Amino acid sequence: MISTYIDTVSKYQTDLLKAFTETLDMMFTAMIFTVIFGMVFGYIMFITRDDGIHRNRFIYFIVSGILNILRSVPYILFIIVIIPFNRLLIGTGFGVDASKIPLSLIGIATFARFVEQDFLDVNKSIYETSYALGANITQYLTHFLLVEARSGLILSFTSTTISLLSYSTVMGIIGGGGLGYLAISEGYQNFNYSLMWIIILLMVLLVHLIQTTGNRIARKYDKR
Amino acid sequence: MIVLENVSKSFLNGVKEEEVIHDVNLRINKKEIFGLVGETGSGKSTILRMINGFIEPDKGKIYIMDRELNKDSKHQLVRDTSMIFQDFNLLGNLNVLDNVILPTKFRKGRKKDEIEKAREILSFVGLTDFEGAYIKTLSGGQKQRVAIARTLMTSPKIILCDEPTSALDDRMSYEVLKLLREINDKYDTTIVVVSHDISVIKSLCSRVAIIEDGRVVEILSLTQKEIRPISYKEALISD
Repeated sequence: MISTYIDTVSKYQTDLLKAFTETLDMMFTAMIFTVIFGMVFGYIMFITRDDGIHRNRFIYFIVSGILNILRSVPYILFIIVIIPFNRLLIGTGFGVDASKIPLSLIGIATFARFVEQDFLDVNKSIYETSYALGANITQYLTHFLLVEARSGLILSFTSTTISLLSYSTVMGIIGGGGLGYLAISEGYQNFNYSLMWIIILLMVLLVHLIQTTGNRIARKYDKR
Repeated sequence: MIVLENVSKSFLNGVKEEEVIHDVNLRINKKEIFGLVGETGSGKSTILRMINGFIEPDKGKIYIMDRELNKDSKHQLVRDTSMIFQDFNLLGNLNVLDNVILPTKFRKGRKKDEIEKAREILSFVGLTDFEGAYIKTLSGGQKQRVAIARTLMTSPKIILCDEPTSALDDRMSYEVLKLLREINDKYDTTIVVVSHDISVIKSLCSRVAIIEDGRVVEILSLTQKEIRPISYKEALISD
């Protein structure tokens, strides 16, 4: 039985490597956009909410509403309905590069909510402290809020990354490829179950690696 | 040094505005240790937060070192003041030295000099051996001493203290009060202390305003006493 799996790995070595590279490519780009825009939108929601330091119901409603819509559309449908937007942005609706757009959007929406929550978990009096020590609003974010929320943010980003890995498995629908697509098209639909199980195992190991790394980094930076 | 002229403040209580500070007039002199005493909810902490500009008064004027405190001047003026909080408000993810240095990051200066100054101050507050320690490993008294060291880093002309000892036991309160007195003596710093604890006010302040329902009902001059620790036995058997 083990020899079947070994044979499958050697037979599909090139395909597995290609699919793995595609997954990493999609993930890496999505993670970069996720961390930048997720932080920005999370911070905007945090400061504009009703008990925020710059309360603004209109901005909060718009940002929160858009993020909610992004998260509430079933992902497989979201990939399809966003094809025109992909075309508008990069000139094509299909392929690995086009797949990065819905993946980044769902990553941003997920992470922004986590960021808002992580900032809410920080002691509220820290804003007053920053003011009393002479910090401006930017310094409050960089020297106080981010410092105190950092371990929570690392764990949130870890969870978002794992979600992105999971979302990336269906990107085959618009030609995104990746490990998930290989498992479904070559493994499940071609009755090559050993390949499917190898990819499942690979995904399990990837998730475990991401979570363990995230936990370790968060623990290292949490001194509270 | 600090002047409050007919200062009033309202807060939204449900749907209607409720005035919580009514026509407060105060004059706090340079190098003075001034107390604001009153029951919980009397408005003394609000007055303190109006003095450092964190809360804006609805009516009246506040002058800090002869400059009117307003939207334009408050960020400049707050840099000449510093605040000590009831719950210390230290950053748990930073060690003692980094907490102490923190306010200098918002001001110009050489990093090397700042570290040297922080070490001097840590020695002054008796925490030389703790500069690498994280806040969670410190006792309440040590935490408040770190907070005091942090306030001293910017050489403030005014230190505002909001219930500085209420989270501490008697022994640690004594240490903090003694330190505040030493700061006043050594650096000629004006100190404003808010407390509901009369013994704190009596042992530290030269003058005190009694606050009731958001009004200054009386200002008293006190004779400063020597601050000394008392044991539980002394406290229990004294009248």
